[in-house]
Amino acid sequence: MQLYKSMQLGGVIHEYPMLIPIVGRFGIRLGVGEKSIGEIAAEYGVDADFLVMVLNTYLNESYFPEQKLRLFHVSQIVDYLTKTNAYYLKFQLPNIEKHLKAFIASSPKNTRSLDMLAGLLDSFTAELKARIARDTEVDFPGFLALGRQCAGGTVGAGAMGAGAVPEDNAELLLADMQNILIRFLAGDYNENLCYAVIFALNSMERDVRQHNRIRHRILYPIVEAMRQNAGR
Amino acid sequence: MKEQPRRIAVLVADTLQSVGLQTLLSDYFAPVEIESFASYGEMAAGTPESFDYYVMPAETYALHADFFLPRRQRVILLAQQCDDRPGANVISVSCPQEEILGRLTQIFAQADRADMPATPGRELSAREVEVLRLIVRGRINKEIADELSIGFQTVLTHRKNITAKLGIKTVSGLTFFALMNGYVSADEIRQ
Repeated sequence: MQLYKSMQLGGVIHEYPMLIPIVGRFGIRLGVGEKSIGEIAAEYGVDADFLVMVLNTYLNESYFPEQKLRLFHVSQIVDYLTKTNAYYLKFQLPNIEKHLKAFIASSPKNTRSLDMLAGLLDSFTAELKARIARDTEVDFPGFLALGRQCAGGTVGAGAMGAGAVPEDNAELLLADMQNILIRFLAGDYNENLCYAVIFALNSMERDVRQHNRIRHRILYPIVEAMRQNAGR
Repeated sequence: MKEQPRRIAVLVADTLQSVGLQTLLSDYFAPVEIESFASYGEMAAGTPESFDYYVMPAETYALHADFFLPRRQRVILLAQQCDDRPGANVISVSCPQEEILGRLTQIFAQADRADMPATPGRELSAREVEVLRLIVRGRINKEIADELSIGFQTVLTHRKNITAKLGIKTVSGLTFFALMNGYVSADEIRQ
């Protein structure tokens, strides 16, 4: 399903509740009444086109209107990815940790194997935090400075090639943790808490994947094109 | 149903308990090959890894967790009190005989199911296990090729097959798998 500005946001969220954290990154809170996506975006001072693009990108993995996305300002993309990073640290990681901790506590027979799984989560957390620190301290400030140098901070359609999305170890670790639980979990365990852990891991894996697509296929090519323009 | 006899090590110091267990196992779960040991040390002097199942009190398991933990799905613990948790490999010596038999039946059935690979041919080959052991010990592909005297491309193929069979792609994930299945010890990884 493709979303449009004229669609009622409440209905869309009811159908796809996984979009709640995505609209949250734009500052949009629940209690959206009967308003359309466009009306809500105007109310919160958000670029409706950018919001709809991101929601569609998240909702449909095959949807990726790169030519349109490239027309947005680099600061919009950096702002969105920054909020995504903050969401990982503030909500998604603690959510996984909380569920995994409860799962381990409820599975005394599997303590050692699940403790080791917690070790995998630590590896993932360290990797993610290192990347976010680099984003915050080095890359994103540099990209924003470059955007200010270039007229409008955009490069226009057709000005660059599509970037490839390399394998991301953080994303792979999330997938591995799920696979280990799904394929190799043995003995007595709490099914409900196991589902909660897998659901939390899966939600984050999906989010990180979309984040990486926007990063590698939109942001980095825009930055590269701006660098080339600035070098002329 | 297994065609080969189940090889069972009974590590119980109490003679009556040991004899009782051996009788139940022989009478109700044939074909079985049972060896009884009064202590872990007695079993360790032979070929301890050759058994399909190990029956023992929880204390013995705890004292020799390094050996038994990777084989925990093959361990049957003896408890004094009845343990009603489904799936737990625990039998109570104080339960009625029919309950003990029922629990043993469940444990063997569960282990038999676990023995069946989800997809035929998904088990790691001996060579893939060797490659896995070197990966989790931090060797890079060229080092693995040199140590095993195989080609670089062969190493890549083994790695691809390991990932395909296990569904695990990261070294951290493979390390978890190798530790849990007893392919490496924590000490080896720290080397």
